[in-house]
Amino acid sequence: MKHLFWMSVFAVLTAVVFGVAAKGTERQKLMYGLKVFGEFLAVALILGWILYFIPFR
Amino acid sequence: MVANRIVKEKHEPVETPRVAWLMGLAAWAVPGAGHLLQRRWLRAALAGGSVWVMFLLGLWLGGHLYALTGNEQGFGVLLQLLPMIANVGSGLLYVVCWVANIGFAEQAQISTYEYGNTFLLVAGLLNYLVALDAFDIAAGRKK
Repeated sequence: MKHLFWMSVFAVLTAVVFGVAAKGTERQKLMYGLKVFGEFLAVALILGWILYFIPFR
Repeated sequence: MVANRIVKEKHEPVETPRVAWLMGLAAWAVPGAGHLLQRRWLRAALAGGSVWVMFLLGLWLGGHLYALTGNEQGFGVLLQLLPMIANVGSGLLYVVCWVANIGFAEQAQISTYEYGNTFLLVAGLLNYLVALDAFDIAAGRKK
């Protein structure tokens, strides 16, 4: 859970900056920030499950 | 004729106001300051605040800042230089830590050490983005 927590904190902070720096209306910025946050979480979870099934040892 | 004029206008060099460079510099030096000086309160709080929080969390998690020590050999210097460039993006936060020798010791025994490193690196990189945003606003390229 610690991994997920810190990764989520990272995703929130990064998404906020990306959203603020994006071009467009306030609503477009908000949607972009939410999209970035969702993408961070989705990619991390997908990669996590892929790596879980790969036998490294 | 009209088309020629439009093309000509598009290629005319646009002079960047000096204040834009100052805003960019201020934004780099103190995260959020570039937007604060331009009275963009919400942007300053969100973007600058995120960089501050990320940097302080990085230190708290046990991450370490990179610096050139002079002992690097050959291409080994790149392994220090590239992350150092990212860290320097945090502006005076990095300078203060460097002067006070805070965060430069490796603490790999701490379980959150890698998270801390990542937070510190990305805080600097995000601040470059925030500084560019402040520069663009001051130059009139962005609202």
